[in-house]
Amino acid sequence: MTTASQDATAPQVYQLYIRASQEEVWDAITNPAIVTKFFHGAQIESTYEVGARLRSLSPDGSDIWGDNTILECDPPHRLVHTWRSLYDPVMAAEPESRVTWEIEAQPGGFAKLTLIHDRLDASPKTAASVRGWSYIVSNLKTVLETGEALPPVM
Amino acid sequence: MVPFMDDEDLVFRALADSTRRLLLDRLFERDGLTLLELEAEVPQLTRFGVMRHLGVLEEAGLVVTRKQGRHKHHYLNPVPIRLIYERWIDKYRDRRAAALLELRDQLEGRK
Repeated sequence: MTTASQDATAPQVYQLYIRASQEEVWDAITNPAIVTKFFHGAQIESTYEVGARLRSLSPDGSDIWGDNTILECDPPHRLVHTWRSLYDPVMAAEPESRVTWEIEAQPGGFAKLTLIHDRLDASPKTAASVRGWSYIVSNLKTVLETGEALPPVM
Repeated sequence: MVPFMDDEDLVFRALADSTRRLLLDRLFERDGLTLLELEAEVPQLTRFGVMRHLGVLEEAGLVVTRKQGRHKHHYLNPVPIRLIYERWIDKYRDRRAAALLELRDQLEGRK
């Protein structure tokens, strides 16, 4: 017997094609000036070296949304970092999870982006919250293809 | 296999089948299932039927497979539905909302 509720803790996979080069997608996810356009206006601080911190702050810099660590960095293919949502006390108390960005070049001027958010087994509230990746990666596509961001949603 | 790229037709076609929507619902409830596990979830289908429908869903980008060890896991990819939502549903919802607001303004004598 299955329940109607969504599987909370399995890995989550988000995949889409973007009309951009692999390098352009890599730049978009590692350039704070572009990340802010598709990620809720966040201020991003990182050197994007393995072991470096990846901090995200609210648009005005007053709140820390995330203070994560770069686990792997292989431009322009693969970026892996830890994830903990610090803007909510329940999620901040849950164990750290992991985000993997994979970018593959495709024929016809496309890049394929796959985002995997896993290690969510003991982090049910985070798992439910990060379903918003759909909006984020769709927004990234819009930014890269049109230069403009989608209207904000919550 | 041709990737879905930006092909909305593939997504609409994949969604226009109750068995495929059932498979998506099963993955929504329990993501990352293997073929064997998915077969058990829809006992009314043959293995061939499950594979055929999964192929259509994968081609449309609605299901993404990942290999872990010896097993291939099937994941529901919500992004194509999100893109259709933004392209089609959000637009018309806004238009309807605007029409309702206009009606209210007219009824309240503001125009």
